[in-house]
Amino acid sequence: MTPPLLQRAALWRAASLGLWALVMLYSSVDGRLDLLLRAVFHPLVALAGLLLLLVALLQLRLAFGPGRQERGDRRQARTLLLTAAIALLVLLLPPAPSFADLAGQRPRDETAESELSFVLPPAQRSLTDWVRLLRSQPDPKLFAGDPVRISGFVLPMEGEPPQLARLLVRCCLADASPVGLPVHWPAGQAPFPADQWLAIDGVMGLGPAPGGGERLEVVPSRIRPIPRPARPLEP
Amino acid sequence: MILTRLATAWALFQGLLIEALPFLLIGVLISAGARWFAPGGRWLRRLPSHPLLGPLTGAALGFALPACECGNVPVARRMLSGGAPLGAGLGFLFAAPVLNPIVIASTWAAFPDQPWLLLARPLGAVLVAVALALLLGLVPEALLLQADLLAERRLHQPLAAVGLLERSSGLVGAPPASALSAEVAPVRPPLAELMKHASQEFLYLALLLVMGSVIAALVQSFVPRSWLLAVGGAPTLSILALMLLALVVSVCSSVDAFLALSFAAQVTPGALLAFLLLGPVIDLKLVSLLGLLFRPRGLVLTTAGAALMVLLIGQWVNLWRL
Repeated sequence: MTPPLLQRAALWRAASLGLWALVMLYSSVDGRLDLLLRAVFHPLVALAGLLLLLVALLQLRLAFGPGRQERGDRRQARTLLLTAAIALLVLLLPPAPSFADLAGQRPRDETAESELSFVLPPAQRSLTDWVRLLRSQPDPKLFAGDPVRISGFVLPMEGEPPQLARLLVRCCLADASPVGLPVHWPAGQAPFPADQWLAIDGVMGLGPAPGGGERLEVVPSRIRPIPRPARPLEP
Repeated sequence: MILTRLATAWALFQGLLIEALPFLLIGVLISAGARWFAPGGRWLRRLPSHPLLGPLTGAALGFALPACECGNVPVARRMLSGGAPLGAGLGFLFAAPVLNPIVIASTWAAFPDQPWLLLARPLGAVLVAVALALLLGLVPEALLLQADLLAERRLHQPLAAVGLLERSSGLVGAPPASALSAEVAPVRPPLAELMKHASQEFLYLALLLVMGSVIAALVQSFVPRSWLLAVGGAPTLSILALMLLALVVSVCSSVDAFLALSFAAQVTPGALLAFLLLGPVIDLKLVSLLGLLFRPRGLVLTTAGAALMVLLIGQWVNLWRL
């Protein structure tokens, strides 16, 4: 059965809502949310997707069911068409951000970690754990010689060698702020491109700080290029 | 280079949009629920219209709505179109994004060691909301509110308060006393009608949110944030810089405290509070949504008034805490 001509507005509404529902639901399963939002928000997005799908289905029923005929206006039609087109675009063009580009624009995360409830053994500390630990215990000599196993992306630095970095996210990518560790890159090693993800095994060593004095840096014994992890953002 | 940056902006846009859409949906559903449970919205017109009590009551209603500013707009629109006093509607619009349990809890979770902030943020939000309601109350509604909102609002306001010409429909002359007491009970809208209205509202607001998120994502990708935080230590400049940052970043009020945490150590306390107060009232993502309520003049007044109030509060806090 074809819907009456004037019920097409309901059909378009159902299609547009359905596309947005699809955006939310598909983002929840294709790993896109891991790249965009902090994990606590993921269930909210999926739930909103389900609710939207429900409303879209009800609209669809309305479009084919008996009811008063609707007079659609031009603005309404434009809104429906535009929102549907944008939803389609979001669906078809998944995000592919450059973490190094984003990090280069942002100031470093300076959260003062006042309470470290427990400290992991050195080889189990992530890059973020290391950065937080070094901030709370600024004496570099305390950790020299500790084993390191970390992963992160290559972040070019101005006036010094690239660091290995991660993005910290409190809500969504818009508030991401970088944390990084200096690396003592092996001599003769061709420089890795920005954004390349690396897994580094090695030890903490002392190196010269740019402003004078000493600082801790990662002295790698093994560097492996890895694909971007499924959950690249850290809380 | 430019392509890389555009790709990053596209990801930022998706992050902002997908994070805000659930809250927008919550707001639209609450607004539809209010139409269903209280058709005609008679309770809205009983809210106080006193210049001070009105905004305070509106602000207090925020405790009933655990959503941030995107979800707030459809609810505030519903209040105003239902004939709520302007002050109460505006008080809700501007203060509720801060005065709700989730936002207060997240502020406390982010700054457990700064109890002054837990008191100063809600208090500041109420001050800003009352000031804005008083300021916008000076402008005639016809010049302040969008035409379609105004038309809907006029239908729900008593004729004695509006006048026939403004309302463009209704009966001439004062209604007989008996008719006043036995006002016809408003009809609950059919479910299909309610659903249609809510769907249309959600899609329209989503479109506005898309526009706001595009602008916010582009500005964020092409303006280095370090420019804004470079002036962190200077009392007045730091407040202005963080106000600008709040406008640009456009994250929801329920999470902005965690974002503020990442640079709290670099800026003055007044600037920190300014960031937490201005963002919920106005930011790039919100401008287009607020355009659904206000004419350009209202938008300009809101932005200027909020900026001035927040600057004053920030300065005062810096005098007190520095």
